[in-house]
Amino acid sequence: MNKVIAYIRRKLSVRVSLWVVFFAAVIFNVALGFLFYQAREAVRQEAINSAMQILDKTSLRVEGILNRVEVASDMTEWLVMRHPDEPDSMFVYSRGMLLNNPDFYNCSIAFEPNYFKNKGRYFSAYSKHNGDSIRTIQGGSDSYQYFYMDWYLMPILLEHPCWTEPYMDYDVPTNTSEMVTSYCRAIKDKQGKVIGVINTSLSLNWLSQTISAIKPYPNSYCIMLGRGGTYFMHPDSTKITRQTIFTQTMEKPDTAMTALGHAMQHGEEGVKLMQLEGEECYVFYKPLGQTGCSLAVVCPKSDIFRGFDRLRHTVMAIVCIGLLLMLYFFIRIITRELSPLRRLAHQAETIASGQFDTKLPELQRTDEIGQLSHSFAGMQKSLVRYMDELKNTTAQKTSIERDLHIASAIQMGMLPKNFPTKDDRDDVQLYASLTPAKDVGGDLFDFYIRDEKLFFCIGDVSGKGIPASLVMAVTRAIFRTVSAREAMPDRIVVAMNEIIADMNETNMFVTLFVGVLDLPTGRMRYCNAGHDAPLLVGVGVGPLPCDSNIPVGVMPGWKYTLQETQIFTGTTIFLFTDGLTEAEDASHAQFRMERVNEVTSLALANHQHEPKQLIGLMTEAVHQFVGGAEQSDDLTMMAIQYIKQVSDVKYSKRLVLPNDIQEVPRLAAFVDEVCETVGFSAAVTMQMNLAIEEAVVNVMKYAYPSGKQGNVTIEATSNDTRLKFTIIDSGMPFDPTAKADADTTLSVEQRPIGGLGIYLVRQMMDSVNYERMDNLNVLTLRKKLKTNK
Amino acid sequence: MKTTIQKQDGNLIAILEGRLDTAAAQEAEKAMQPLYDCDGLDVVIDCTAMEYISSSGLRIFLGILKNAKAKGSHVYIKGISDDIRAVFAMTGFINLFEFK
Repeated sequence: MNKVIAYIRRKLSVRVSLWVVFFAAVIFNVALGFLFYQAREAVRQEAINSAMQILDKTSLRVEGILNRVEVASDMTEWLVMRHPDEPDSMFVYSRGMLLNNPDFYNCSIAFEPNYFKNKGRYFSAYSKHNGDSIRTIQGGSDSYQYFYMDWYLMPILLEHPCWTEPYMDYDVPTNTSEMVTSYCRAIKDKQGKVIGVINTSLSLNWLSQTISAIKPYPNSYCIMLGRGGTYFMHPDSTKITRQTIFTQTMEKPDTAMTALGHAMQHGEEGVKLMQLEGEECYVFYKPLGQTGCSLAVVCPKSDIFRGFDRLRHTVMAIVCIGLLLMLYFFIRIITRELSPLRRLAHQAETIASGQFDTKLPELQRTDEIGQLSHSFAGMQKSLVRYMDELKNTTAQKTSIERDLHIASAIQMGMLPKNFPTKDDRDDVQLYASLTPAKDVGGDLFDFYIRDEKLFFCIGDVSGKGIPASLVMAVTRAIFRTVSAREAMPDRIVVAMNEIIADMNETNMFVTLFVGVLDLPTGRMRYCNAGHDAPLLVGVGVGPLPCDSNIPVGVMPGWKYTLQETQIFTGTTIFLFTDGLTEAEDASHAQFRMERVNEVTSLALANHQHEPKQLIGLMTEAVHQFVGGAEQSDDLTMMAIQYIKQVSDVKYSKRLVLPNDIQEVPRLAAFVDEVCETVGFSAAVTMQMNLAIEEAVVNVMKYAYPSGKQGNVTIEATSNDTRLKFTIIDSGMPFDPTAKADADTTLSVEQRPIGGLGIYLVRQMMDSVNYERMDNLNVLTLRKKLKTNK
Repeated sequence: MKTTIQKQDGNLIAILEGRLDTAAAQEAEKAMQPLYDCDGLDVVIDCTAMEYISSSGLRIFLGILKNAKAKGSHVYIKGISDDIRAVFAMTGFINLFEFK
């Protein structure tokens, strides 16, 4: 069944044909149904009419026969009365009756006992057909005392002629019996005294045959009932006189039968549809004259409608065959009409599989299929063109994507990767992470250590993607360039702002935080250009106070302000971009500053605020919050922990010089003494001499305007690991570390005479650090001891 | 700091002794003035006895070299100690001068 349904679903031709045939069948059915109904009604009416007519005719005929009996009896009575004293003529009369009426069964003219003196007690002239002849005898005898019979007594007692109920007439000579009904008429003399009775009988069998000869339908039959409902006539002869119409309703109640019996008994005329011996029959009934009998014609319904049903079945068969033929031809026709479509579908499938050059069938049709084929050919052309375009676009896209990957790698490569830990350094450890929302991003961070100062920045370029990444790269490069010569964050930012604002034609801007942490002292100078304030995680968690400066690149000439604070040992500076606070989960709720505070507070409480731990915890918290949602913005975090412990000073020496170059030999003696104390070799001692001399001479030459008196203090301190020289003066601010290094690769002609001093200092010492503190220039030079031991 | 200038084998020879630091540089520069008049002569700076040199000293050397080069003369450095050679190397001077 499922296979059939699947087949029908697959075949349009079958489906359409089925629909058409279905509707045709419905229409035929309705029309034929109506027609059949009407025709059936007509047939039924016609059957009733014809049956009633036949019944009328039959009953008229029966009545005619009965009338004839009555008339003949009356005539015979008249004859008898003409010759009442001639018993022998009675035989003639009786015989004459049968001669004139061959269809009468018998006739007897019976007289009162001893009526004729010479004839004895019994005289009955009895005639009966005997084969072709008529036998006439005297019928009364001792064994048949006729004057006690019903037929003899009834007309006398009733005082009018009457028909008897059927009874069995026994014929002695032939020893046969026959069911008969008799018309009995009393013979009265002139005084009105009854002298005898004329009895004329009709054979019920004959009557029945006569009536039954008239059959409206092959299986119809007649029933005749007497007054009491007794069957006088019935196809089942065993029922005749022995059963009434009510007999069988005794065993099995049958209201229809009872009603029919009553109706017939009451001499009604009509028609009833009822169940007779398991068959539906129309019963037409009508009283038979004055006899008190009722005649019924039973016509089986199947008989009545046989012709009609045959017609109906034939028509239905023709319709069914017609519909099946219609279905077959429809399927054939539609299949043939749709065959180009099927070919087209097949070709389309081939095209869909990627063979775009498949040739489409040429159709000369102008109908919908032709149009479809035409459109499809057009579509194929467009498809080929589109696929080519798509290929190109995809190739371009792949190329762009490859470029983007490379760009991403370049951008990531720009970021510092080696983060100082407490294993590497004793003053600071740092960790940072940058996760762009796309391949490339606009966030940046950078840090490096120069001259015992940690330069760092974090920034966020407006926008995302490639434009932001370009600005990011430029910004980071500018930061490096500018901060190489400048240790003041505000000046770094001002310089960056000038450069970026100058080249900013697309109105991009950068929120930037630049900090310089002086590692020996923990002093941090910073400048915030519109960036989120970093958190200080130390004693507690709190934001670093920040002035409100505008982002970099917005307005050239903006005076960015400098701020300073002291970072205590153990404190972590946590910097981030707004990608952290504005990280969104699937329902666009943001991570928010409160959560950042919670996470950092918890980390601090658990002593997990070292840079790497803190960023790890924060990353985990963000991931948990965001869940499966797409990253909405670049996310950058940087944590810097200051871990400098005050070292024990093992050795300390101090020298104060006036700012006179001629004092340099004293300096040499001081340096020699210090170097000897810490155990430096002659070679290193010479290096120290050179470095300190160059640094001090620099101060003497540049910190004090020429001719101005001032002192330069040189402090030498050492612990187990390093020797530190601190050169302090009260001159005007002068940062020797901000000078460019000499280019040692130039030729003699190109090489400037000066500019070697600070270069030599850097070469000789492990670190150089300048700080301006309390109106003093403080230059710190360090040299490790370990390597020299 | 002691500076001696000699003329020998058609060369101008400067013999430097002691520390050539910033303090000594001014005097040394004056003392070495004759080396600027080196037309046709090569200059040899004998550093065998020089203990120390600062950037001021290097500047004098560079001045002499620039002058001599312009006049087509060579400047040779002689007897330089390893420590001072390291300073020359550090500053790139090792590529500018010729050493004997």
